Amino acid sequence: MAESTQKIKIMKGATPDLSAATYQIFDESHTMGNALRWMIMKNPKVEFCGYSVPHPSENLIQLRIQMYDGLSSLDALLEALSNLDDVCNSVEDKYRASLTDGRYERWEEKS
Amino acid sequence: MASASTNGFDPRKHVGVNAERMSHVSSTDFPGHYPGEDHSWNLAKFQEKLSVNIERLSNRSIDLDLVGVDASIANAFRRILIAEVPTVAIERAYVWDNTSVIVDEVLAHRIGLVPLNVDPALLDLKDPQNDQATDRNTLVFRLRAACERRKPAPKDTTDPRKLYTNSEVLSSQMEWVPQGEQATVMATNPPVPTNSNIVLAKLRPGQEIDMELHAVKSVGKDHAKFCPVATASYRLLPEIILNPQKPVPPHLAEKFQKCFSPGVIRIHPRTKEVSVDKQKARFESMSREVYRHPEFEGCVQLARVRDHFLFNIESEGFYPPERLLLEAILVMRTKTVALRRAAEALLNDTRGGTGDVEMAEG
Amino acid sequence: MNQQSHPGASVGGGGFVPNPRQEMEYICADCGAKNEIKSREPIRCRECGHRIMYKKRTKRMVQFEAR
Repeated sequence: MAESTQKIKIMKGATPDLSAATYQIFDESHTMGNALRWMIMKNPKVEFCGYSVPHPSENLIQLRIQMYDGLSSLDALLEALSNLDDVCNSVEDKYRASLTDGRYERWEEKS
Repeated sequence: MASASTNGFDPRKHVGVNAERMSHVSSTDFPGHYPGEDHSWNLAKFQEKLSVNIERLSNRSIDLDLVGVDASIANAFRRILIAEVPTVAIERAYVWDNTSVIVDEVLAHRIGLVPLNVDPALLDLKDPQNDQATDRNTLVFRLRAACERRKPAPKDTTDPRKLYTNSEVLSSQMEWVPQGEQATVMATNPPVPTNSNIVLAKLRPGQEIDMELHAVKSVGKDHAKFCPVATASYRLLPEIILNPQKPVPPHLAEKFQKCFSPGVIRIHPRTKEVSVDKQKARFESMSREVYRHPEFEGCVQLARVRDHFLFNIESEGFYPPERLLLEAILVMRTKTVALRRAAEALLNDTRGGTGDVEMAEG
Repeated sequence: MNQQSHPGASVGGGGFVPNPRQEMEYICADCGAKNEIKSREPIRCRECGHRIMYKKRTKRMVQFEAR
């Protein structure tokens, strides 16, 4: 089935319908953990979301999601990921617009 | 929201700055937090509120305002800038000769920290499992310098630079040795240190350095030498909220003004009425000096705007400052794509077939 | 990539056999003159008579991580 170096694993204790599950995400940190947590909490179908970095010497985070009405937490995770991508897109567009309109102070810094 | 309307402090919009504590630190804009209000994710609303404004741009740094995002997003960009935007730096030093007073280890470490002007896009990340160096993942530099007395000996000087050749070994003496296809790929912009005047070692007559240096691509979380920025930081926009119910007494206006950073507080020349210069508020140091004087108690509330981030990013190395945020966004999007793919694989595992997922012990 | 071009170089240390026929060249701690000193010879600088000598640095390649 899945290879041993999976990026995401579902931890023991998840409900069979995945309405409440803890995901282990490998090689991620507070950077994605907190951003994901925020975006998942923006979902009204989500009862609870939290994340932790269990130990600083292990390069992984644990993301807990609990859903209302027996909905799948995996769907909420996927939705949050695509929403985060939209956030990045929007910020990039606005940044590029500001860069091209050029209404900022230019100055010379000595190195 | 009664308190918000009376003195202007809105716990949804502001983080309170009080004499000895901060208040209303966590954001509350989540569905279910306020009954009857919709705080669910809405891209159109987000885009409407979002504003990204470059304030200042120099050849080395950029100041920009990121308004309308949560701290978790702003912090993700900051963290990625520091730790996850890849750059190229010297990783291995092969020393044939080093008779200078600086020992091999220290010299190798110093050279590792020298920023290079190499576009990281031109190199591949080295596979941690396979240590094989190829022309796609490694750059080679040669550093050779020998110190000798200049002849005829210059008179009336003790300046080592006049007395000897190569009394200082500079970063400009690192010479790029193209490997394989590199000579053509990097011909337009040959790899050199971004600063040619970094002193790597000092030599005296008879001393010599001869080393080969291998540069690779990696990220700041691996080692600080791969960090593309000198600093990347943000702070929240300061806001000074004057209480209309308790104006500052005219005879104390100047004392009040001095409690803040220069230019932040204006005094009306005739009425001696104080007001806040909205444009200058960002320069307030938030020293909280005003809270130390009992006569100003209740006159003012200091706050920070929860979703208004003032970024300062200083470039160090290859990237011009205006490209850094774009690179960070690119890295973040790559991460979300990778996570999406992993989550979709998980979804297929659960939906298709037996429905049993591999569960991690924990 | 070039890792072992120097004759006699051995990457990763160990396995170095010293060349027996060659006299070692030493550097006088006092005047800096080069001195060839064979075994059983008195340790003394030919130029200034100083009795402290430095051994020259190895010409073998040594590898370091720039960290």
